[in-house]
Amino acid sequence: MLPLDGVKILDMTQFLAGPYCTMVLADMGAEVTKIERFPSGDDSRRLAPFVNGESYCAAIPNRNKKSLALDLKHPRGKEVFFRLAERADVIIENFRPGTTRKLGVDYDAVKAVNPDIIYCSISGFGQTGPLAHQGGFDIIAQGFTGLMRMTGEPGGRPAKVGIAIADLAAGNAAAQGILAAYVHRLRTGKGQYLETSLVDAVLAWTVWESGAYFGGGELPEATGTRHRRSTPYQAYRTQDGYVTVGAGNQRLWERFCRQVIERPEWIEDPRFLDLGLRMRHIDTLEREIEAITVQRPTAYWVAKLDEAGVPGGPVYRYDEVLAHPHVQAREMVVELDHPIMGRMRSLGLPVKFQGTPLSIRTPGPWLGQHTTETLREAGYSAEEIQALYDQGVVYDKYPDRHAGA
Amino acid sequence: MLPLEGIRVLDLSQIMAGPFCAMVLADLGADVIKIEKPNGGDDSRQMGPFVNGESVCYFQINRNKRGVCLNLKSAEGLELFYELVKTADILIENFRPGVTKSLKIDYETLHEINPGLVYGSISGYGQTGPYAHKGGFDLIAQGMTGLMAMTGYPDKPPAKAGVAVYDIGAGLTAAYGILAAYIQKQRTGIGQHVDVSLAESGLPWYAWEAAAYFGAGELPKRTGSRHRVSAPYQAYRTRDGYVVLGCANQRNWEKFCRQVVNRPEWLDDPRFRTNSDRARHADDLEVLIEEVFGTQDSAHWLERCEAAGVPAGPIYTLDDVVRDPHYLARDMVVEVEHPVIGRMKMFGIPTKYSEEQPTVRRAAPLLGQHTDEVLSELGVGADRLQALRDRGVIR
Repeated sequence: MLPLDGVKILDMTQFLAGPYCTMVLADMGAEVTKIERFPSGDDSRRLAPFVNGESYCAAIPNRNKKSLALDLKHPRGKEVFFRLAERADVIIENFRPGTTRKLGVDYDAVKAVNPDIIYCSISGFGQTGPLAHQGGFDIIAQGFTGLMRMTGEPGGRPAKVGIAIADLAAGNAAAQGILAAYVHRLRTGKGQYLETSLVDAVLAWTVWESGAYFGGGELPEATGTRHRRSTPYQAYRTQDGYVTVGAGNQRLWERFCRQVIERPEWIEDPRFLDLGLRMRHIDTLEREIEAITVQRPTAYWVAKLDEAGVPGGPVYRYDEVLAHPHVQAREMVVELDHPIMGRMRSLGLPVKFQGTPLSIRTPGPWLGQHTTETLREAGYSAEEIQALYDQGVVYDKYPDRHAGA
Repeated sequence: MLPLEGIRVLDLSQIMAGPFCAMVLADLGADVIKIEKPNGGDDSRQMGPFVNGESVCYFQINRNKRGVCLNLKSAEGLELFYELVKTADILIENFRPGVTKSLKIDYETLHEINPGLVYGSISGYGQTGPYAHKGGFDLIAQGMTGLMAMTGYPDKPPAKAGVAVYDIGAGLTAAYGILAAYIQKQRTGIGQHVDVSLAESGLPWYAWEAAAYFGAGELPKRTGSRHRVSAPYQAYRTRDGYVVLGCANQRNWEKFCRQVVNRPEWLDDPRFRTNSDRARHADDLEVLIEEVFGTQDSAHWLERCEAAGVPAGPIYTLDDVVRDPHYLARDMVVEVEHPVIGRMKMFGIPTKYSEEQPTVRRAAPLLGQHTDEVLSELGVGADRLQALRDRGVIR
């Protein structure tokens, strides 16, 4: 039994923030039914690369989910939605604020048929506040939260984090919020509405930065790869690339000097006696360390760091990461069969449950792959289902591809 | 009633990943008891800036917790800890793998004492695999997962994400994993060991990057502030700074050309016809947009974008953030009274609930601030507390 076995979730989200949230819940065993408009479906289905016409982008965060292609604007489509909503534990949406009300599928409407529902919204700026109405993408949130000013090279153009970190922060905030609300419901029987936004979620991540700002008025600047309060803690150039070193505390600094860089005299050097002094001379320290690290390749330094027990490692390209024996041993790259795309690779699960190991049970569904199945489970007869297809209320992109069809 | 009210969490973690996880649970109402070592406590207490000798960094991430200072290496300290374990629902630790075993506080030992305990471990590389023994910090994970290689500008060295995304990411991954395991425990009565690592928490975040790599063999490059497949979607220079523009779809691009920069002729430019055309010619587009944007200040362009309904925004510093009326309206800047630091500010709670809203109910504890309170709840009397203190078992 998986941790969330039997928890029924209706997922009205698209792109990344919402789908990441529901992926996490689906991975842990929840039954997630993704409701998509048709014929286009989740907007991420338009993102390249495609294999046999199916988007690899859409397939990755939508694993372990079912797809129901449903026209929510059609009165009969709304009937189907409410029949499913009555049976659901959780509903998640990431429309622009106001849209669910216009569609008539907002929290109040669902609560009327299912008072215990947990209903979660994810949006760019949140459901309240002066900017609630604005659309917010990941980049807008990275700019609005100060994150872009803290990333990249000092004095350079603003840079963003290389992945859609604001989307992911919001998806993670929603996932833990929904689970907490579910725990609350287990104990009180009461559901509730909860919401988060990309900008709120990122802001909550600026932990040390907010400490330094609120406590000392310091504005966090972009530092390349350097830590703001600790050194050596950055990437140093090597003969063939870069190596990261995390030797911020005194014990690790001493080990680093003696066993890695072999400059025991630095320990007594008045410029480097304690962390405060090392921070003051961070430019000098970087020059001196790099004068040594550039003489050898990254692999040499990684081995030295490992022997000395000083945290450090390579700066991998993406293909090197995914081929790495540790990443493989931890099953972070998995292969699965997609009914249309064939054999495909995806990323594994980052939480290892000792009692109930998780797995990818199904690949990302094609648009409407589980339309018939979902309707049948909701009590619709074969004739009623056929009528819904005929009236254009529901859809299945590959009706002939079902096993046994 | 807060969602996790009455659930007891023992937080043995320090610095960031574990404490962030425990803070999330504390914010949601759990009774989080942070257990710290007598010599200095959590290492982040040494991180400045300091106000009246107390670290404000520590403060940000340990709010809503109670603090107990206990020497786990003494036999008596360990006995008291086992008593606490009997009262706990959840435990969080981020020692290097192997350390809990030598301290006799590993999962197997504690599962014997309390079979319902959900035990969350956060480490650099996880409890298994060839690198399990290595220490791992956020920086190392950013390097080893490829994130650094994809952050920054193509002609510059790799850069890291400006905040410790993998510490926090691992903390959040552990938080949802622990909550799911707790839900299962509610139904089966049995807890389990939940193992999370910094490096792995970030890997499933590569949704688009993984698709491009697995599906087409493409390696994600450093793009500065640009999107990998959409344009205009980046930061552009204005007369007095930068603004970000997020025109990922055709409709927004058309509105942008017609209503924001008044360059309808761009719509017919063969370089800019579709989103992928524009992404291919992002360099040319950047030059053209910055020619126009350079004539006016950021505020001007943001107003025009807002009037046209084109997603755009400023690039704030934290100074701007804490003054922005939207954040203030969303309670994202809160104040709390600290016994030593005094009145102090922090960022609020990013998830809003229709039932009782979680708030910052208490400041981060001083080292050992609640030792007596928590141990008294276990039935330890005043005389014994004094004796334990004299022997250096508690502080």
